[in-house]
Parts: sequence; structure tokens; C-alpha cells
Amino acid sequence: MAETAMPEVMPDIERDEKSETRSEKEPGYIVICWNDPVNLMDYVTHVFQTVFGWQKPRAEFHMLQVHNQGKSVLVRESLEKAEHYVHQLQKYSLHATMERDE
Amino acid sequence: MKFLRLQNDRYIFHLGKPESELFTLILRLYPVIPPAHQPLSKSNEPVNEAHQRLLDEALAEQRRENKTLVESFLTDAQRFQVTDAAAHMTVTAGEMEFLLQVLNDVRVGSWLLLGSPTAEPLEIAPTNPNAPHLWAMELAAMFQMNLIRTLNKKPPGAEPKTS
Repeated sequence: MAETAMPEVMPDIERDEKSETRSEKEPGYIVICWNDPVNLMDYVTHVFQTVFGWQKPRAEFHMLQVHNQGKSVLVRESLEKAEHYVHQLQKYSLHATMERDE
Repeated sequence: MKFLRLQNDRYIFHLGKPESELFTLILRLYPVIPPAHQPLSKSNEPVNEAHQRLLDEALAEQRRENKTLVESFLTDAQRFQVTDAAAHMTVTAGEMEFLLQVLNDVRVGSWLLLGSPTAEPLEIAPTNPNAPHLWAMELAAMFQMNLIRTLNKKPPGAEPKTS
């Protein structure tokens, strides 16, 4: 991911704790955003905010995960919703895929 | 590109004349990313074939729509107030989202045309063959950052738009 300003972010722990359990969402698909050297960090943050309706700290947390770890699992959803999110992310030319959550 | 003011939910930008012409040139490059470029999944499940086709069709439709929007955006007489030295461009927040998609297509597509260099930060030596792609990639980024910074100036409490 092409660097812009490095934000100081904290993970949205409260939101994470409220995430649905695996059994509530079977069959599950995870939506992954992969790192690349071309998408700007501020742009990726903006897209996460826009597509998922996240507040900036949560969007920045996932953006930095992509940047530092090579990928970030953004959401776990049904097949249809995961497809929808991949479409939305690819519409913005982000490198996003969905995988079955084994 | 300089953000001047927000007026009746419309963002007004000042662009110098050369900058305005460069902005037009960059937008007219769209689309640069080749069709059916992105996989839906990295796994090889058979079910993915049909879903991949649907995704490719949806993205192709989006490209057609964006291409039409680019043309109508650039030919809208109300959009640009042009003087001898500058232009004032008026856009809504929704139009800025569309512009960000278009500009990033130009940026990522130009990067692909450069051979998808993997070095970070992207430090590519300009040569005669790669200069146009390098120019488009960097210029698209400059306009993108201006739009994002402006969108981030939204009043406190304003929720990000969901798609």
C-alpha cells in the first residue's frame, strides 16, 4: 500500500466483541483485503468507511492490518453479502476477495 | 486543486487552467484497468465460476456507467466556471465518490501497465516508455488526495455514507 500519513489508531474492540459468533452466520464467507503497493493508505481508509459505514478508527485499524500484515479479514458474512462487499471494494479497485470460512 | 467552500451541499474547487486541463485528461483515460481483472476468490471451488461471471458483469456494467458519467461530468456547462486563468469546479459528495473510483482506476491501471512494480514506496525511474503511465499514476493520486482531504473536512458528527 502506498504510504501517506501514518495514522495513530486503536482497534475498535467494543465492535469486535459484539461480532456475531460463527454459528449465527453459517455458512460463512470472509471478505479479505490484500496489500498492494499502489492503493493509497488514506484512500483505503476512506473506502472502508464508505463501504462498511465504519468510523475512521476502525477503518484505519483494518487499513494498517492490510499494510503491515499483507491482508485483513474485514467481515464474515453470508455468500450473498460477501459477494456484495467484494463487488463494492473492487468497484473502488481495491484488491479484495472472499473465501469460505472453514 | 484547492477546496474553496461548501455551498448548498456542493463542494467548490479552484483549479488553475493547466491543472483543470490535466484533470480532464486524467479522467478521459478511464477505464485503464483491464476487464475481468480481479478474482472473486483465490480458492478453486466450482461454485465460484458462476459467481465470478456475475462479478465480472457487474463490474463491466459499473465501468460503462462510470464512462458515461465521466463524459457527462466533463461536458456539463454548469460544472466548470472557466475564466482565462482558472476554473471553479462544483461537485456533490456523491460525485466525489464517483471521481475517486475513476481516479483510482487510472492509478491502479497505470501501475499495471508499468508491470505492477512491487517496491514500496513506489520508486520507479522514469523512462520514455513508462513516463506516460507514471505521470498518470502520480497525477491521479494527487487529485485523489485532494478529494479525500476535502471529504474528511465534513462537519463533526457527520456519518460516513454507506453504499
